[in-house]
Amino acid sequence: MAKRILIVDDEPRYLRLLEANLRTEGYEVATAQDGVQALDVFSAQPIDLVLLDVMMPRLDGFGTCQRLREFSNVPIVILTARGEEQDRVRGLDLGADDYLVKPFSATELLARVRAVLRRAQPPAESGQARFFTHDDLKIDFARAEVWRGEEAVSLSATEYRLLLQFTHNVGKILTSEDLLTSVWGAEYKTDKEILWVSIARLRQKLEADAHSPHHIVTRSGLGYLMPPNEA
Amino acid sequence: MDTSTLSQLHDIFQAVQQKQDWRVALDTLFVSLRGSFVFDNVAIYLRDPRTRGLEVAYARAMGRGKNAEADAVWGESVANDVIAKGQIVLKESKRISGSTDRLDLAYLLGFPLYIGSKLGGALVFIRFGGPAYSELHIQTASLQAFWAAALIERRDLQEARAELDSVQRQMRLQDDFVSTISHELRTPLGFIKGYSTSLLRQDTTWDESTQREFLNIIDEEADRLTRLIEDMLESARLQSKTLQFKFSPVRIDALLRDVATRINTHHPDLKISFDIKPLPPVRGDGVRLSQVFENLFSNAIKYAPNSEINISVTAVDDKIRVAFADKGEGIPEDYLPFVFERFYRVPGERTVTGTGLGLYICKQIVMAHHGNIWVESVLDEGTTFFIELPVDPTL
Repeated sequence: MAKRILIVDDEPRYLRLLEANLRTEGYEVATAQDGVQALDVFSAQPIDLVLLDVMMPRLDGFGTCQRLREFSNVPIVILTARGEEQDRVRGLDLGADDYLVKPFSATELLARVRAVLRRAQPPAESGQARFFTHDDLKIDFARAEVWRGEEAVSLSATEYRLLLQFTHNVGKILTSEDLLTSVWGAEYKTDKEILWVSIARLRQKLEADAHSPHHIVTRSGLGYLMPPNEA
Repeated sequence: MDTSTLSQLHDIFQAVQQKQDWRVALDTLFVSLRGSFVFDNVAIYLRDPRTRGLEVAYARAMGRGKNAEADAVWGESVANDVIAKGQIVLKESKRISGSTDRLDLAYLLGFPLYIGSKLGGALVFIRFGGPAYSELHIQTASLQAFWAAALIERRDLQEARAELDSVQRQMRLQDDFVSTISHELRTPLGFIKGYSTSLLRQDTTWDESTQREFLNIIDEEADRLTRLIEDMLESARLQSKTLQFKFSPVRIDALLRDVATRINTHHPDLKISFDIKPLPPVRGDGVRLSQVFENLFSNAIKYAPNSEINISVTAVDDKIRVAFADKGEGIPEDYLPFVFERFYRVPGERTVTGTGLGLYICKQIVMAHHGNIWVESVLDEGTTFFIELPVDPTL
């Protein structure tokens, strides 16, 4: 089956250039003009690779890459017009598989695409799910939106990151140190109080009864976990 | 501490800390605590970081010592003692025998001010004619001295932060400038490279209409790059003031009609109407001023397509004012303050080619004429650029 590639760039002439060349190699092509549109297009169909421009209105390439990585391991190639090292490093750190500095030649582009597709793992089981549900809790990773039942829940950036630790490790006990290190950074590793406060606030927002939580459960002396969905 | 003292302290703390200006905060502090500690004068001396000498930074006469300018009255020698010893100095000036003037008997109380853990100055309280300071007075005064030091430190931090902010803003502008240039130059270059290497691919063939399409894009992007480089050189020359202006009397009405005629030969459908009163000439460089109006025309053609353009010229005091109005979509208010900035482009206008330099160049030229340029815009009604140029004073 032909691989489908999503091209994201706000310059119509780049979209045309990339699309024309990719089609000659037998790829199918989907396009988007900014990050927000890209996430919608991505969720609507199976995509094998994303070519992502950095400087875009609304949601830029870095933001889009980060958001995609919250629920998908699709190969991502960043297209940057700025060749500075910090830009390339930032893209790779956010989960991009490769980058291409503009201006680039058509043949190099196609070679990169072939190489990245060759290396790409088949989508993992947790794969491409844009939505996550746990009982009455629902998350749209692409939009970073959370609902409890029909009600939208507003989380701070830290609360959202903390919640993602649980959704990505359902059924696994996470220690305070794990959580503090991955959400706040290694220098907060022993700062348990800040975690207690944040867990309490998260429960206030997510749980029907914060005193007998269902989503984020305490395992005394061990840590916290999000129990598996009841079948 | 009993409740009423605590509540008083709370009120004083709030009143003092709320004052943004450190001098006003100090005034509030000293006045608030006068009930517990009476003094006539207070002075703060700070070390000048360069000369290391003491400079008076704050002085207030609260009572009986007003109008007195003698040294003893302001305690500078006590301040020097405090700095030399690094500790509290209590001094009673000797009454000259036979004198009955109260000012001859001064009680001076000096405190070191530690600012950012360094001995940064001294605060001196002066009271005339006694009684001598009690232990409680000295404690109250000491509290005020600590507090004053904290307020001065706050001032230093505010100043340092303001300086840092301005340096950072400068750096960000520099950064933006470099990254904008590199982005602006790379964009057309990227198309030229991308589309030409596409045509050069040996593993595929393109049909003739695609080939034409690609070649046209390459051609247009090469033009865009040329224009960009020209504009950049021009704006760099204007920025560094190396562009020479040749000033002479210029009739703005004639110049405008000239430019309009030239524009109409390229854009015969563009409607241009004039509303011009007889006017004295301005002092200007005709070539550069034409460039300004050409730029306004080309903007109007790009951003307000199919709109007619109305140009009115009036005399306002000793200036000539040109109003250049289109009936296009207008520019959102949020973006208006930035349109004359170098490389600024109104977001969402990316489909229309432009370098973000045109209006910057216009502004530099008008400024070189000691004139003024600004813009007013109403969404869905249109945009008007105003240019004011001084009337030639030699006429």
